[in-house]
Order: sequence, then C-alpha cells, then structure tokens
Amino acid sequence: MKTNQKKAWLFLAPTIIFVTFFSIYPILRAFVMSFQSGSLINLSWSGLSNYQYLFKDPEFWLAIKNTALYALISVPIGLAISILLAWIIFSKVKHKSFFETTFFMPYVTSTIAIGIVFRYIFNGDYGLLNFVLRCLHLPAPIWIDDPSMSLTTIIIFGIWTSLAFNIVILMGALRNIDPNFYTVADMYGASGAEKFWRITMPELIPTLAFLLTMNIIGAFKVYTSVYALFNGQAGVGNSGTTAVFYIYNKFQIVGTPGVAMAATVVLFLIILFITFLQRKMMKKIGEN
Amino acid sequence: MGNDKFVEVKNLKKVYNNGHEAIKDVSFSVKKGDLVCLLGPSGCGKTTILNILAGLLSPTSGDILFDGKSVVKTAPKDRHIGYVFQNYSLYPHMSVLQNVMFPLVVGKNKKPKAEAKKIAEKYMKLAQISDLADQRPHNLSGGQQQRVAIARALVGEPKILLMDEPLSNLDARLRLKIREEIRSLVKEVGITTLFVTHDQEEALSIGDKIILFNDGVIQQDDLGQNFYLKPNNYFVANFVGNPVINNFKVKKDDGKIKAKDFEINVDDLDQDRFKREIPDGDYILSVRPENILPDENGGLPVHVDDIELIGRERILKFEHDGKQARSLVDLEAPIKVGDDIKLKMRLDRIFLFTPDGERVY
Repeated sequence: MKTNQKKAWLFLAPTIIFVTFFSIYPILRAFVMSFQSGSLINLSWSGLSNYQYLFKDPEFWLAIKNTALYALISVPIGLAISILLAWIIFSKVKHKSFFETTFFMPYVTSTIAIGIVFRYIFNGDYGLLNFVLRCLHLPAPIWIDDPSMSLTTIIIFGIWTSLAFNIVILMGALRNIDPNFYTVADMYGASGAEKFWRITMPELIPTLAFLLTMNIIGAFKVYTSVYALFNGQAGVGNSGTTAVFYIYNKFQIVGTPGVAMAATVVLFLIILFITFLQRKMMKKIGEN
Repeated sequence: MGNDKFVEVKNLKKVYNNGHEAIKDVSFSVKKGDLVCLLGPSGCGKTTILNILAGLLSPTSGDILFDGKSVVKTAPKDRHIGYVFQNYSLYPHMSVLQNVMFPLVVGKNKKPKAEAKKIAEKYMKLAQISDLADQRPHNLSGGQQQRVAIARALVGEPKILLMDEPLSNLDARLRLKIREEIRSLVKEVGITTLFVTHDQEEALSIGDKIILFNDGVIQQDDLGQNFYLKPNNYFVANFVGNPVINNFKVKKDDGKIKAKDFEINVDDLDQDRFKREIPDGDYILSVRPENILPDENGGLPVHVDDIELIGRERILKFEHDGKQARSLVDLEAPIKVGDDIKLKMRLDRIFLFTPDGERVY
C-alpha cells in the first residue's frame, strides 16, 4: 500500500510540477502582485491602494461594462445562430462534411488575420458590409472609426468568430441523437418545429451548457479581436476597451503591474462567480 | 372488408439503391386480431417488410392493404400503426408519462394535455407501469423500458402493432416472462400484431402464425407446429428445431435409399407422404434428433463421441459420413461416452429433400 502510494505520486509528479509552475504559481503571483506597486523589478507592498485606484478609474469601469455587454450580447446571439446553422446543415444539407470543414476553418485561422480581413469588410467607405447595406438602402454606419460603434463592431465580430467552434461541437451533438427518436416522432406526425423543441433542444442541453460556459469565459477574456479590429488600439479613444485590454495596457504600456494584477484578480472573481452561477442554473434546467 | 385479410401484402418487392434485392415477390395476409411472427435469420428481409408496412420505407413494387385499403401512398402517421423499436427509442429527457403521452400531444390531431394524460394513464395501467410515471427511462430496467415502449405504441389506439425484435435487448429469463406478457397484452387489447424475431423459440411460443423468411422470400407461412412436422423445404427443416436436424447424404437406387452404414426400403416408407414420384439419384435424408433413437434392432451402428446434457434430456453426438449428428435421448438412458450403439429412425418422421432443397417426402 505504502509503496504503491509512492509510485502513484511519482507518476503524478510531472503533471503536478507542470500545473504548479504554470497554473497555480502565476495565479498566486498575480494575487500577491495586486497588493504591490512599483515596476516589475522593484516591487513594494502597498496594501489595497491598487484596488482603490482601480475602483476609482472610469476606464476600468468602462472596460468592465464593455466586457459584460460583450458577453451578455454576443454569447446568446452567437449560440442561437450556431444552433440554427448547425440544425440547418444537419437536417437539410447534403455533403455535410464539406460545410462542416468550411465552418470550422475560421477556428483554425488566426484571429489576427481574420481581424485584418474584417477591417476591410467593416471599412466605412469601401467596405463590403457597407456596400451591401447601401445596396439595400439601409444606413451605413462608420463601424471602425466611430467611438459609439466600437462595441457593436466588436460584438458582431465576436459572434462571427464564435460560430466555428460552436457549430462543430453542436454538429457532433446532433449526430449523437438517436435517429430513431425522429422516426418515432414522424410516425406520430410531429411537425418540424415540434421535433426541434421536443427532441433536438432537450437533447442538446448538456452540450449547450458546455458551450455557454466556454463562450462566457472566452467572452470575458476578449482581447485579440479588439486588437486586430482596431489596429492595436481599443477603438477610437479607447471606446472599445475590454477587461483584458485594460490589464494589458496597465501592465505593458503604463507600467503599473500592480494595478494590472488587481484588475486580473477582479476579472478572475467575476468569471468564477458567473461560471458557478451558470452551473447551478444549468443543473436546474437539466432536472426539469 | 373481410377480417381474414386485415393486413394484406401483395407481390411486395424492395430493391435498395445499392442494388441489393431485400425482398423478392412476397405475398401474405394477416387475420384481424392475430399475432403473427415474421421469423428469419439476419438479413432475410423481415425488418425491411416491417418498415415498409410502417411506411418508413417505400416498396419498389407491390401493394399493401390495411383493412382492404391500399396504404402504399399513405404517410406513416396516417396508417394507424404503433411501432416498437428494437432499442425502444424512448426519449431520455422525458419522464415515462411524457414518453407515453408523446404520440397524443404532437401532430395535427393533438389532444389537450389533460385528455392525453388520461389516455396515457389507461395504457400505462394496462402495461403495469403506472407507478413509474415520473421516472426517466435510464432509471428503468430493460423489461420496464420495454413496457413503456409498448404503452407508447398503443396509446394512439392504432389498428396494427409492429414490433421489431422487441425482446433482443433483454436477458434470457426476462425474455421468457416479457414475451408472455406481450402476448397477453396484445390479446387483451385485441390489436393485430406483427412481431419480427430471429428466435424460432420466441416465434413458436408467441405467434398465432409464423411466416419464415430467407433471402427475401417466404419459405413457409404456417402454424407453428407445421414447421416441425411439415417443413416446406430443406431450409425450413434446418432453421426450425433445436437441437438442429440431422442431414444424411443418401442415394436412391434399386428401390432402396442407401447411405453410408444404413439403407431403407422405399416400400417401408409411408407412400402417402411422397409429394411426387422420385427418380433414382442423390437426395438428402433429414431426421430430427428426437426421431432417431437407440434401439437394439436399429439399422445404424454408431460410436458415441460425446454427450451433452440439456435439462431433462441428453444429446448423443456421433459421427456419420464425416459429419456430426445427434440423437436426443432421455436423461436416464444407460449410455456412456465411447459406447457403440445402434440407432433407429421413425420412418414416418423423416424427410427427403432434393439437393436443391425441394421436399419430396
């Protein structure tokens, strides 16, 4: 028994060492740093001053507001569109694997590269999006360069980039539903909508819970797409700043790692809380 | 219309897109209220027929009549059928009650919830699952799931119940119990039932009538006992019966039927059982193990290689003409492995087949 336990620790050691150094240590380090001020090589204890600064900083509140809005809008819409597209591909389209590959492509392509393409699509004067909108006689906003549009642009881009992963996972889940479930429903004359709401959706709940968690966490960590869309900025006049953008800015540009780490800790707690809440909610839905 | 042909299948043919001919010119009919078993080995086309009856597949040619009306062009939902799938296909996210109610609360003719619940409860009571109403299918045993599936199939008050190997997921003991329950349940409801199975014992015990398929063709459409006593052909004789029938290669020559180590005078056979005059030549003589027994005056000397105990009887195994053959004897018969004994056949119970399977005696 004893020797067995020693061996077990030995086998676990690589993972434990790896996780300790690359996951646990950085978290603790960030937590400690959030109570320190000064430059990275010359840190000194400063108590709660970083947090005090943070909560008084309007830019931090803008970042949190933007991030929350981004998550609350892009995640549900993105998921709804993903379900719709996955369902259409799954039930109506032949050559599914071709479309699946096509939809998955954005996921394996660098967000930076896609962001640059979208800069052109979103361009106010000669962008593809506005060209289409003008053809349809709809208002053509200045997507990139208007501060009031920054968040909308990021949300549209965020929804688009979230589709790839969601659709592929949902296709897998749809494929796992016993086809006889639909045969039975057909036999009793269930309509397409009845089949979708009574069979497909309930069967997708576990997958949707997983995707919702992943998407929310991803949304709260949004950074790359902002960076790519606004050419390294957070939109005109920082109008599109997000939590991670704020952290990066305070760490690298302003040079106040303590404030950056305090913001990190706050973001960490927010994500933790929301994930916890969501798990409780999903469990309740699953029980009904 | 006549109750004798409540379900009528006429010259049914099904060729799949890949060219596989699953059903070749099949015709049969089912009496109202009967429980008929479609029996056959895997891939014989029995499930294809069931799916065509249900409307899940359309036939390549031929006609199907329910109560005298052709339903080939009728959608599955308008055929008034209940279908029990092999794996039951209960909805895992619904309770037993919701599962049973499902057929009543979807589609064009859906009923109000309260009414649907009432009907569902009636059939759940019949299937003895009332106390499981709030359970989820994954909490149920195989037998309970089976009953839920049957209740769901019956709740729409169909005219015809189709069951596709409904017992194959159950363990042996439960299978015996459930098959009796199924029989008494469908008889109580009085519904015409077609029951697909590959298990001959199941078919014999449950069916009012059995239709045996092989290679997309009906081999025999008959009462259960006739598969034993009057098999249509070599395939039927070999498919039905456990332990399997013994087949001996024989030659008819000079008024005698000759095999290795034994011969029979054609005059000793029951002349009424001959289907036709048979010329001299090669034949197959088949005899069931229970009809070839140890007898001091027997004409077939054999050496007992092995003895297998099957409950109240024993199977003596011996070799004849390079093939293993069997004799079914009483548990207490004083015979041991290694004994040399003589066997005698009941001549009125043997069958003669031509090499291509036609039965001539």
